[in-house]
Amino acid sequence: MAAGARARQLGLKDVVVFDRDERPGGILSQCIHSGFGLMRYGEELTGPEYALREIKEAKRQGVEIELNSLVTEVKEDRHITVVSPLNGLRRYNCKSVIFAMGCRERTRPAVRIPGTRPAGIYTAGKAQRLVNIEGYKPGKRIVIVGSGDIGMIMARRLTLEGCDVEAVIEINPFTSGLIRNEVQCLRDFNIPLLLNHEVTEIRGANRVEEITVTARDDTGNPIRGMERIFPCDTLLLSVGLIPENELSRQVGFVLDSSTSGPMVNNILETAREGFFACGNVLHVNDLVDEVSKEGEIAAEGAFGRLSHTLPPSVNIFKFMKGANIGQVVPQQILFKKESRIAIRVCKPTGPVTLRIGEIVKKRLSLTRPGEMINIDISADQIQALADDNPSKEVKIECD
Amino acid sequence: MDFNAHGKEKPVKSTPDVYDVLVIGGGMVGSMILRELSRFKLRVIMVEKEPQPGFGATKATMAYIHRNHMNPPGSLRARLCMNSQSTFLSLSKELGVGYREADEINIAFDSNEEAQVRLRLDWAFKNGEKNFRTISREEVARLEPHVSRDFIYAIHSVGHGMIHPAEWAFALVENAISNGARALMETEVTGLRQEEDGFWTVDTDKGSLQARFVINAAGLYADHIAHLAGDVNVRQFPARGTFAIFDTSVSSMLRNLVYVAGIDTTFSQAIGPTLHGNVILGLGHFREPKDLSDTRVTREELDDILKIGKKIVPNLPERDLITSFAGIKVTNNLAEHNDFFLGLSSVSPTLIHALICPPGITASPGIARAILDLLSNSGLDLKEKPDFKSGSECRFKFHDSNDEDRGEAIKKDPAYGHIICRCEQISEAEIRDAVRRGAKTLDGVKQLTRAGMGRCQGGFCSLWVLKIISDELDIPLEKVTRKGKGSEEVVPWDFKGKQV
Repeated sequence: MAAGARARQLGLKDVVVFDRDERPGGILSQCIHSGFGLMRYGEELTGPEYALREIKEAKRQGVEIELNSLVTEVKEDRHITVVSPLNGLRRYNCKSVIFAMGCRERTRPAVRIPGTRPAGIYTAGKAQRLVNIEGYKPGKRIVIVGSGDIGMIMARRLTLEGCDVEAVIEINPFTSGLIRNEVQCLRDFNIPLLLNHEVTEIRGANRVEEITVTARDDTGNPIRGMERIFPCDTLLLSVGLIPENELSRQVGFVLDSSTSGPMVNNILETAREGFFACGNVLHVNDLVDEVSKEGEIAAEGAFGRLSHTLPPSVNIFKFMKGANIGQVVPQQILFKKESRIAIRVCKPTGPVTLRIGEIVKKRLSLTRPGEMINIDISADQIQALADDNPSKEVKIECD
Repeated sequence: MDFNAHGKEKPVKSTPDVYDVLVIGGGMVGSMILRELSRFKLRVIMVEKEPQPGFGATKATMAYIHRNHMNPPGSLRARLCMNSQSTFLSLSKELGVGYREADEINIAFDSNEEAQVRLRLDWAFKNGEKNFRTISREEVARLEPHVSRDFIYAIHSVGHGMIHPAEWAFALVENAISNGARALMETEVTGLRQEEDGFWTVDTDKGSLQARFVINAAGLYADHIAHLAGDVNVRQFPARGTFAIFDTSVSSMLRNLVYVAGIDTTFSQAIGPTLHGNVILGLGHFREPKDLSDTRVTREELDDILKIGKKIVPNLPERDLITSFAGIKVTNNLAEHNDFFLGLSSVSPTLIHALICPPGITASPGIARAILDLLSNSGLDLKEKPDFKSGSECRFKFHDSNDEDRGEAIKKDPAYGHIICRCEQISEAEIRDAVRRGAKTLDGVKQLTRAGMGRCQGGFCSLWVLKIISDELDIPLEKVTRKGKGSEEVVPWDFKGKQV
């Protein structure tokens, strides 16, 4: 929505957003809790309220929004095929394509939890949609596997709706979501959080009946004898999001294995000219405010390309990940422009200094993989980094 | 094998719900039998305890239609597997279900395995198969660049097939019904007794039926059915194997089926493409299940199968594993050398057992014909119907169609343009059609349409499928199940604030 609105605002004429759902807003429509928009609007909004702001703006700007429309094919030459019940099968020749397909959830088989395959196993996002949009509960007695944000939020949600949430089971010694969710969802509602634990078996023939949870030692191995059985009828999995890059693969982008999203430069353009990526399809974001911002940057990039008004180039350089650096987006710098670098560390650390080359230094009191670090680099700093690093690689490290 | 005819004067019965033949079991074998029976002027009926055909062992196999190199020459298995490929190919056209061909490579990593692979080559030859030959390491590398080079011996053969058995069982029963047969789903046999006049009374949880002949095609539960009839001589021995399915993006790594030697019944290993373009890895070391519903996958089995998988394809990308499940197979005590037993029960010549072991899917057309021979030899008059409909309605599949056909289909029915399963591109129209055809559960729709088999494993589509089933069957959402009673997915709200 944000990309569409910005594109129109900049003067691009035909701007259309294709979405396969029956309503716009994406995942925000089902996120009825508040906490969205503090950065972007200075207010605490719920997901649907935030989405409505973006949708209203997009419509005001004259963006065409096509719903129930699935893009089935994207070609390298930017010919796309879209299918919808209303309009049938159509092909478009696009000057610019922006990918904003978001994520899918990691599944139980992907995290290899042994056991049977009964009813009652949900991913947290699917359960959220079931509760908030369809109006049903996934079950009565719930265990949440994984301490991702969605899992913690659903722990609170289901408790509020009268379910028994027995525990949140997390394999790592730290939660994988935001600390504020740990506090506002688990601690505030007395939901037990079992860190360093894993689900070692699911039992139940037709419906989930019970699970075995085992404590792990420092090396991540299950500790014999430290097993607990949780009777329950529902499991909610919040074990990670995977950017949905099926179309990106179709076009032939190389994905960054650490983000599972396409590699981009600092106008969020991919390896193929005219293709841009933003939001969760590029990398899993923490805040939707950042996602909107990325949409705008991608639109600016698309506009720049089409109108030949891109910022001046610099000597291209890539970011090289130093110790404890897990993800860096964008992966490559091409242009001299103010850029936001989004970084995730691998493991939590105490007070550290984040360094980008020798030019940017930032002191951080606490870093965790679950909290993205956003560093704004000015155009001049970009130039300095490019000039400073003739080897075309700029190291980012955290120590 | 016991094909003796025990002829009997045909008794006449004219009360309702009396059948010439009652088939217990709607798996691949039972479904093939029912369809064959429906060619003739007979009153035939099938009873199946699951919500749809093919829900048992049928849906948990490698689903390959093998040529005749893994069956001992002279065995019943070898005899009934002859020419399976051509039978399946023509059936696939008749019924409008999928069949795809691939080549097979059998490899051996040590001298024991080499002996077994050479034996397979010998068996192929003795069973009359052509085009089986030893191939060199260079040829394997050329055919399958991702397969390990550490093997010491390999053979190659062409023309093996792959299907999706659950789809076949469903289509076979559907075709039988269109030809006058009856099939009752979610109907479990609870009793089996022969009356004085020789007819069988078959008690089920939904009422009683009468039949002149009963075919025991109950698969894993065939011995249980036999015992109900007082035939305590039948025993089956189960073993559980593990399967892993990889995302379609992995299909570029493997073109052929690759089997590691393992004629030994405690171990069998293969990796290869599936009909739909995934990669399937199965089966590993077989373990004894706790009971016949114990289809869990243990941590050890999962690690085991992945380890063996990587032995064959070292770069097998574990992160692209999208699902794993287990399948149970059985052997029986009545046949020698792990063979089928197709024969009359020792307690009555009108109760016919079909005790199946691997390769049940491949042999199913042959098994069906053999069962019909047994029936005929036992005095059942097989008069062909002149108006037998061998073909079934061809169904539009969005996924398999080109853009032009897709556009046309959507014009005729907009529901073809509403894609529910994004990963596999399955439209709303196809899902509604499946429910109307009899797929009333989430897993049933999945088996028939593939909705939910993709990389997100139903994360996006299953709520939609639940709603469609609820809408089509006009039942509340909380009554829609994953795989039959007891596996309901959602819980309704109780607005009074109490738990429902």
